[in-house]
Amino acid sequence: MTIRNLNNSPTGLTRRSALAVTGGALTAGALSRATSAQGAVTLRWWSPQSVPAQLAAYKLQIETFEAANPGIKVVFEPTSDETYAAQLAAAFASGQVPNIVTHLPSFAVGNYWRSGLLEPFNDVIQMVGPEKFYPGANRIYEVEPGVFAGAGIGGTAANSLWLRTDLMKKAGIAEAPKTWDELRTAARKMQGGGIYGAPLPYARNSMTTLIFICFIHLAGGQVFTPDLQVAIDSPETLNALEFYKSMRELCPPGATSYSWGESLTAFVSGATATGIYTGRVLANVNAQNPSIKDSITCTTYPSISASVPSWTFNDFPSMFIPKAAKDMGATKKFAAHIYAPEGYIKQLHAAPGHVLPVLKTIADDPKYQDNPIIAKYANEVKIMAAASAGGFNLGFESAKHKPNAKAGEVVNSAVIAEMVQRVCLNNEDPKKIVGETAQRIEKIVKG
Amino acid sequence: MTAVEALPRPAEQGLKLSTRYGLLGALLIAPTVLIFCAVIVYPLVSAIYLSLFSIYTPTLKGRWVGLGNYADLLASGEFWNALGVNLIWTAGTLVLQLVAGVALALLLHQNIVFRSLARSLILFPYFMSTVVAVLVWRWLFNDLYGILNHAMMWTGLLSMPLDWLGRMPNAMISVILVGAWKYFPFVVISVLARLQTIPDHLYEAATMDGAGRWARFTDITLPQLREVLFIVILLRAIWDFKEFDLIYLMTGGGPVTSTMTLPLLVYKQAFALNEMGGASAVAVLMMIVMLGFMVLYFRTGRTAEN
Amino acid sequence: MRRFLFNLFAWTVVGLVAFPLLWTIVTSLKPQTELFRIPPSLLPGEITFEHYRRLLRETRFPTYFANSVVVAVGTTVVVIVVALLGAHSLTRFAYPGRERLAQLVLFTYLLPSVVLVIPLYLLLVEVGVANTLFSLTIAYTTFALPFALWLLRSFMAGIPQDLEAAAMVDGASRMGAFVDVILPQALPGIISTAVFTFILAWNEYLFALVLVNQDTARTLTTGVINMLVTSFHIEWSLLMAASVMMSVPIIIVFAFLQKHLTRGFGAGGVKG
Repeated sequence: MTIRNLNNSPTGLTRRSALAVTGGALTAGALSRATSAQGAVTLRWWSPQSVPAQLAAYKLQIETFEAANPGIKVVFEPTSDETYAAQLAAAFASGQVPNIVTHLPSFAVGNYWRSGLLEPFNDVIQMVGPEKFYPGANRIYEVEPGVFAGAGIGGTAANSLWLRTDLMKKAGIAEAPKTWDELRTAARKMQGGGIYGAPLPYARNSMTTLIFICFIHLAGGQVFTPDLQVAIDSPETLNALEFYKSMRELCPPGATSYSWGESLTAFVSGATATGIYTGRVLANVNAQNPSIKDSITCTTYPSISASVPSWTFNDFPSMFIPKAAKDMGATKKFAAHIYAPEGYIKQLHAAPGHVLPVLKTIADDPKYQDNPIIAKYANEVKIMAAASAGGFNLGFESAKHKPNAKAGEVVNSAVIAEMVQRVCLNNEDPKKIVGETAQRIEKIVKG
Repeated sequence: MTAVEALPRPAEQGLKLSTRYGLLGALLIAPTVLIFCAVIVYPLVSAIYLSLFSIYTPTLKGRWVGLGNYADLLASGEFWNALGVNLIWTAGTLVLQLVAGVALALLLHQNIVFRSLARSLILFPYFMSTVVAVLVWRWLFNDLYGILNHAMMWTGLLSMPLDWLGRMPNAMISVILVGAWKYFPFVVISVLARLQTIPDHLYEAATMDGAGRWARFTDITLPQLREVLFIVILLRAIWDFKEFDLIYLMTGGGPVTSTMTLPLLVYKQAFALNEMGGASAVAVLMMIVMLGFMVLYFRTGRTAEN
Repeated sequence: MRRFLFNLFAWTVVGLVAFPLLWTIVTSLKPQTELFRIPPSLLPGEITFEHYRRLLRETRFPTYFANSVVVAVGTTVVVIVVALLGAHSLTRFAYPGRERLAQLVLFTYLLPSVVLVIPLYLLLVEVGVANTLFSLTIAYTTFALPFALWLLRSFMAGIPQDLEAAAMVDGASRMGAFVDVILPQALPGIISTAVFTFILAWNEYLFALVLVNQDTARTLTTGVINMLVTSFHIEWSLLMAASVMMSVPIIIVFAFLQKHLTRGFGAGGVKG
């Protein structure tokens, strides 16, 4: 506007007005670009799971939905495990939210529900058919009696122990390790010649936090008591730290900045003899490093001793709908459509054994069973399915625990990852650090 | 703006020429002033205002806490740690930039073959996106497949791959190095431009007086560069101090909080801890620190001049 | 002989500085299988453009690229127009508060983006333009305008007053003299300021990270990083190809405007 005023001056209009016009056109163009999408109904779908095979499955789900529902467009937008919290926080704050968010940890759901940001998911569950879900599959999403904040889209066994049978044989290891001592010995034996023992993360990120929570449980400890008092300051945590620190020399140097992608790639590319991951390993090995495809297997992660049971980290990948989402009718319809067998099976097959079905009707479906990788690694998939069914996470540490609505903030604050780094990398006094960490978690819970 | 209010309407006839020019001048600066008010002054004031609340980011619901955020921050080790880290990073990378920048400017001022290609190659890092620089360096630093580790193992400098980004002090050294690599061309451009304006006869006279290479550098070149170096240091110090992209993308602030500078702390508070008020307080404190340094800087600059 | 050694030395230094750039290109041309070879091969055994093809065909890279072009060009045009008028006013007109304003420009220079990003975000949400390229253009003026104004001001102050006075004696108006005399004189400075502004906007990351959460409005910086963090097997060759493609506009600037860049910068920018 101010530019237009100046055009009234008597001379030299051409160049200036040309500049002004271009400027105006550009900004107007940018505006219309952004608003044009709002003419028809467009649904935005966020997920941190977006490798090419999964994208292909999503594309099929979107196309079948769009064909059946003319006038509705669905756009998939990738997010990531390390950045979704910040992105969603910004999206909620601006009111420009995605319509559907899938594959986030279940504890994120409780957190957003508590802040009044989510739409009840009951309608979608009804559309899918509540009887099709495994019994109790959605119990953790039942935030008030009869009200569901979201639903599961799959289960995972995120801390499965992956092993290279060829390297084990070479090192003279007969059996998969059951305890930490056995694991450490095996990793040490297999290390060498450019191959490291394990790809445990020592970074300041959520993977380190989530994986270390597993180790606290594998030592027989817990982060919170069943009635959600902070319980991390325990001898079990100290044991877990001691073991984790001793594993450092058996992990690649860059493990100090590993997240899920790097840790996975380390095992898949053959750089480490053991791995800690979901069933995604299967698909990735077959696609990227087929030379080891006949010498991989998995089992539940070892615990400190035979008397402590294994503890599986089930991320409970979730699905939820933000309250502020536009076109709620179409949104719910599409949410239900994601569970439709054809697309849902394709989605699960994109990384067989990685995300395990939450619908028992699907698990039993011959079409789901009919997959070369699931057939080839039937035993591994069975182990992971069983582990994931009995799995927990920080939002829900055991069957006795109350759901923890602060789990998201505790994970995002990175205090647990910092504790791991302080002790394992900086050699600080574990007792002192664990005490401080307990206080910091306490502050987050209160804040 | 006060000028506009004080003066009669522009359409009025018989206005003094100087007044009319003043008015035109005010009109020309008006767009700038308007934009400044909207996108700089207003956000600045509201940053200070926001810092007095506790605000949950996703809902933007706030609660007045007065100076509570500041009290918490100043009492916590986190803020002081970030400030310390910030100063180490700024000083480290700035010194490297200056040394490398001046040295390469002198080199490029000489007559070497394919000089303009050499210049292009040297200047390029400065103009490339920080995102690209980070990707490239993270690939070079890669523990298993990075060329840097292999080159150093091949030459015998290392026996095991080095963890460039995950340990201290490596992580700090690495970001300082990459920062220097990315930003030293700014020093090169500025110094090179100034070198070209130093009259040759000064050197000729000095040579006749028997001054050696080094003496000519310290007696003629450096004093001639003083002014330009002053500005360059000023600018680079400001930019390095507030650098976010490079550090955030290289290390994310880790290991632990060893490379967590103030801008990263702001981002963490706002979007990881969902504490917008606390984040604003960090930002305001950061600005105060920067202002303090600027004032100090201008003072020393002025006294040095006298 | 001494010349030769000096040249060798100089080019070794240049080569070291430029090595990461060359390595980027080499990596982007290597087949995926060659990437994880230990030790790495210095030159690709086989050259492939597969990664570029995939980048352009199978990823959102072209969208991000187009977005970056719109935002960077938009910001540059707006900022240069406004700053040119502002700088002219600051260097050629007398009115109360002028010196204060010049100081304000310098002050806004000190402001870290991170101070402004949160309130600016809330402001843009309020106005209802969050998540658009337009919001990025607005946000980018916060650093680009003070920068351009400061650069242009010091540059235009260096243009002799006599020329303008002569034009006005010949009957030109103030604005006429501005267009006919000052603009041509200031052209190298304008070009260098424009190039710098464009590059600042092209490379910006923080605002793009916070203000945009929609894939259709992502720029290259956040889009490519998103490709890095969302992938479950990090494809370095694809990322290196993306790095090369991201640098294309800058390479173009280099090929055609480098003289302007150094000359304009030296004369206009650093004198203060």
